[in-house]
Amino acid sequence: MSQSEPPGGVFGLSYDGETRVIEALKLVSTGIIVLVGAWPIYWMTQLAFTEYETVEDAVTVFPAPDIFTLDNFNVLTEPEMYTYMFNTVVVAIGTIVTVVLVSLLAGYGLARLDFPQKENFARVLLIGYLFSPIVIGIPLYQIWQNIGLLGTRFGLIIALSAISMPFAVWLMWKYIMTIPEAHEEAAWVDGASRWRGFRDVVVPQCRPAIIAAALFAFALAWNDFTFAQILLPQTDTTTFAPGILRAMGQAQFLPQAYLMAISLAMTLPPLLFAYFMQSYLLKGFQVRAL
Amino acid sequence: MASETGESIRPGRAYIPWDDLPVKRETVAGIGTVLPVVVLYLLIAVLPVAFAFWASLHEIHTLNPEWQWAGLANYREVLNISTFWGSLWRGIVYMVGSTLLQLGVGLWMALVLNRITRGQKLLTAVVFTAYLIPTIIVSLVALRVFDPAGGVFQMIGSDWLGLWGGREAPLGSRDWAMRLLILIGTWKFAVFVTIFTLAQLRAIPDRFYEAAKVCGANRWQMFRDITLPRLMGIVTVVVLLRSVFMFNKFDIIWQLTEGGPGNATTTLPVLAYKTVYTDQAYGLANAIAVVMFLFLLASAIIYFQLFNPSEEVETTT
Repeated sequence: MSQSEPPGGVFGLSYDGETRVIEALKLVSTGIIVLVGAWPIYWMTQLAFTEYETVEDAVTVFPAPDIFTLDNFNVLTEPEMYTYMFNTVVVAIGTIVTVVLVSLLAGYGLARLDFPQKENFARVLLIGYLFSPIVIGIPLYQIWQNIGLLGTRFGLIIALSAISMPFAVWLMWKYIMTIPEAHEEAAWVDGASRWRGFRDVVVPQCRPAIIAAALFAFALAWNDFTFAQILLPQTDTTTFAPGILRAMGQAQFLPQAYLMAISLAMTLPPLLFAYFMQSYLLKGFQVRAL
Repeated sequence: MASETGESIRPGRAYIPWDDLPVKRETVAGIGTVLPVVVLYLLIAVLPVAFAFWASLHEIHTLNPEWQWAGLANYREVLNISTFWGSLWRGIVYMVGSTLLQLGVGLWMALVLNRITRGQKLLTAVVFTAYLIPTIIVSLVALRVFDPAGGVFQMIGSDWLGLWGGREAPLGSRDWAMRLLILIGTWKFAVFVTIFTLAQLRAIPDRFYEAAKVCGANRWQMFRDITLPRLMGIVTVVVLLRSVFMFNKFDIIWQLTEGGPGNATTTLPVLAYKTVYTDQAYGLANAIAVVMFLFLLASAIIYFQLFNPSEEVETTT
């Protein structure tokens, strides 16, 4: 066999030569990814720690000791900014909880229970992807106004939950299908009800899918601008994204350094999530669901 | 899936005589589990679209609750205004450009992240962060670095590369606004492709490659015969999702350029939003929304016919 004589590569290189080329390409690629991926985050961070007079009129690469400052972060305690960030956190948590609960239940039903039209039901859900937030948001403004949900955080949570629902339901469905049904049957033999089997056997095993769905819902809620812009017209309930844009429009002077300090505060939670949850996240997505 | 003996083992309660009822207990429970989804879906997807359709048949001033029946007049108006066709075209340019770029960059990042050994977790976290941080922050940073006063990218572009003038704002230039929107969007959204692809790559067992190596396959053959087939299914799905998402994208465009300069970056979602809040024509805006939805529906059906991503999803549990 060819064990003693490694196969030739694409460019007529030996296997080892090719390995070296790939290693080099990998190194260059890593360099580019670090540069392009981390650079904006670095830039934001260094501007956040630079005195704002300096930010306005010169390009600085490092916050040198004489222009280094923590004062920019004082903007976080201003009532307006505090409200925006608080609202964003409430909406994000509300969305995550709703999405996880509803999709777990529906995913279990689709995977384990037999009822008419269930495959078609799952397919119809996917059409939900085609609705642009703007297509839904414009009519929703009137509907929410009529039933009194306009300007409430609850109204936004419902809208965001529904948007991340199709994905989360598919994810749970496909994930629960990979858990052997025998695990539950064993619990039933021991006298557990279906509910107990779901709660004590299925849910604990769904952890990667729950975290993947939760992260997806978090990204959606944390990112959202369109719905919040349309559905939360008042300033006191609005979330960060439309709030900051309105504040920029109203305030004649909202220094860039302050904006960067606020941005950094809003970037830290996602960064921590991405660092500590990535293996769960990738495991959850390994199921070839949508 | 349900084994032969499964039915008899399944738990039941005695006080409801399920056997005498015309519906099975399991059917009731099954429908019960998806009921919350159905309610949310009706409330957020079906109801608004029906409402939008109904509103599109009326003449409505945004701030005025009086609805005036207009029949199909709004649709005639939509198809006749030149901004509609221009916006559709710009939307397609934005959608196709962004999707292709994101696919390329996303796949490349996933392949690299999958191979590197040192600092993998940290680099993956940095890359994923791009997708998780709010769009508004990406926009704020982009507005900052392309600002003619002290923006570092603006400076590099003008002083080093000569792409634009020294006092010129690239995001306000007809030539550059759309290209920069595509690039900035790619920075954020290519990660979506990376996440899905990386998950797939991690799921390929190493022994496949070892076996191929023993059999004398070279790198390209391994990539073509092992990696690529595994990725194809997810790629068709991701391309569909990304195109739909980019076509529908409103937030990042509005935050960066508000559709300007002139109409240079006005895509259909931006046009719909402007029609509601600048032109105060709520009925007309809903007509635009309905046309957008129909356009996407038609495209999606054609795409499903060509590539059938749902089959891919169904056969590979």
